[in-house]
Amino acid sequence: MRSKLKYIGAVLAAAVAVVLALPPAPASAHGETAQEAFLRMGTVAFWDVKYSAEKVAQGEELTITGTAKILETYPEQLAEPKLGFIGVIAPGPTVVIKERTVNGAPAPMAIEIEKGGVYQFKMVLQGRRVGHWHVHPIFGIHGAGSLIGPGQYVDVTESAGGFTNEVKLLSGKTADLENIGMGGVTFWNVIWLVIGFAWLLYWIVPKPTVTRLPVTSQIPLNTDGGAYGLITKKDHRVMNIMMGATIALVVGGMVWQAQAYPDKMPQQVLHFAPEDAVVDAKFVTADASDGAFDPATDTVTAKVKVTNTGTSPASVESFMTSTLTFPVAEAGSEGRSVQISPATPIAPGETRELTMSITDEVWAKERLMPVGESRMQLTGVLRLQDEAGHENFVTIQSFVTPSAMA
Amino acid sequence: MSATALAPESEERTQALRKLLNRRYTFIDRKWDIVFWVTAAFVVAAAADITKLLFAGDWDFWTDWKDRQWWPMVTPFAVIIIPSALQYIQWLAWRMPTGAVYTAISMTIASWIGRIFNWDMFGGFPLAFVWPVMILAAAIWLDWVLLKTKSFVLTSLIGAFGFALILWFTNYTVLAPYLQPIDWMGLHVTVADVQGIEYVRGQTPEYLRMIEHGSLRTFLGETQYVSLAFGATLAVAGYWVGQAIGRGLAIWPIGRFIKRF
Repeated sequence: MRSKLKYIGAVLAAAVAVVLALPPAPASAHGETAQEAFLRMGTVAFWDVKYSAEKVAQGEELTITGTAKILETYPEQLAEPKLGFIGVIAPGPTVVIKERTVNGAPAPMAIEIEKGGVYQFKMVLQGRRVGHWHVHPIFGIHGAGSLIGPGQYVDVTESAGGFTNEVKLLSGKTADLENIGMGGVTFWNVIWLVIGFAWLLYWIVPKPTVTRLPVTSQIPLNTDGGAYGLITKKDHRVMNIMMGATIALVVGGMVWQAQAYPDKMPQQVLHFAPEDAVVDAKFVTADASDGAFDPATDTVTAKVKVTNTGTSPASVESFMTSTLTFPVAEAGSEGRSVQISPATPIAPGETRELTMSITDEVWAKERLMPVGESRMQLTGVLRLQDEAGHENFVTIQSFVTPSAMA
Repeated sequence: MSATALAPESEERTQALRKLLNRRYTFIDRKWDIVFWVTAAFVVAAAADITKLLFAGDWDFWTDWKDRQWWPMVTPFAVIIIPSALQYIQWLAWRMPTGAVYTAISMTIASWIGRIFNWDMFGGFPLAFVWPVMILAAAIWLDWVLLKTKSFVLTSLIGAFGFALILWFTNYTVLAPYLQPIDWMGLHVTVADVQGIEYVRGQTPEYLRMIEHGSLRTFLGETQYVSLAFGATLAVAGYWVGQAIGRGLAIWPIGRFIKRF
């Protein structure tokens, strides 16, 4: 019986060891579909997101460009969007961000934002870790969290010299961000560990430990037990020397850093109010209603009343929501699309009610039409273009009734 | 277990206790000392590291969070709790001024294992961005103050206050290269800032940092010293959190067994 138990125990231990030794499967996404649909659709819309490459070597550059809009429909449940940050999310620092502009201007830090604000971004990245990585742009909003834009897989291949991240300091020296300061970190950690171990071993090695308890349990707490030999004068003397050495090293370290790194400054606290995005003059308004969803056919429909306030006929070009773009269906085209009816251009001054229809498995796949949840809405941005090529991006929103519940 | 107040010491009693200290036990030999010191290190390391993560979190993690306002305030409070608890236990049980140093060594080694395996090898972050706080010098000070004063009250007031100061000075020494300025995207920023922006973190972009909020700015360049003084005061409070843990959670449940001696 006992040998059987031993055998079972050994097998279990081996199984646990094997499981622990196996490399974990790499994460291929960032849980974006876990966010509620109304948050993904109603907070930030991304469009025209482009990656300059799908494959880069370590140290090679990759540029992500695109536009993000803080929607006017930003949910009241979240903190008011005042401070934001455009960056990327990836499985750790697989890429590094070398440069970032928002609306054409450098934006190294966080930016001041507002509802309805349009932010055209450009981020220059460098491949860092070798692998196949899913990279997204994100719009982080203070108090709310990060909203994820359309992602793409990026392959980072090995460079001959590996990855280095050299920067030029204001002092004129260069440094590699991959290992800067590690000499000092290592040196001082070793120094303190040596002294710490010396302190500890002084007490542990020559003196018994557990057998002191019969004495310590019989004497007051506020005594060092010198009379009984618990702590001797020699102990005090040795500890004083070690404390003196410690203080000398602390002071010496401060003197050393002051001489080695005379130019220092505090970390940054700046926020930028970015320039307004260059956008075309407003020539159209739109209002959505009567949203419906048929789970049987994965079809979302809505009425959209569009008024052309411009001087040129305007047409709907696409509908964008969450990380998805649905271009207007053209005859014979396949793939993701939105049907607009009637499809003819809207004349200047005309107000027309359009029917928008999108049939796509993505509603279910990305949990964007969660039937039965408390807040079921269709929110997104209509892209309209006039004959002169001017574009307007209009936010629309409608509550959605699932046909099964109608 | 509380210490017993004794009647006036007599030479006879002193000799009896001396004899007791030098007594050789057949069933409690030095192997048990080794078992204690080695096995407890894992528990202590975990307790100290988790306490640090709970209270200091990102302020001990990234170089760009080791700022001059919050870091000196949050970190000493977070890392003095378990050293204080161990100090009480080890002083009470064995009259050894080793609790803080023992915790510091355990935590230092555990922190580095975590940084190297989890964050550098698995997460891919450069160690230059995620090195942990060093508390050993501050712990030596804390144990030394207890040895000299033999008082937990004085150790909390003098020792914990000095603990925060020494912790900051020793870590500022290694933080210095990260505070060098760089001209980056048209701004003068620190190396730490650039690391924080360039190296992609999960859900913690730098705009979340609370650095430089509040009226401490009125102290201009002395902000860090004001923070440090406040952090040292917080460390005094943290010391008593540790004492509560040491006395309440660690000693009380086993006290009735210890009394059998």
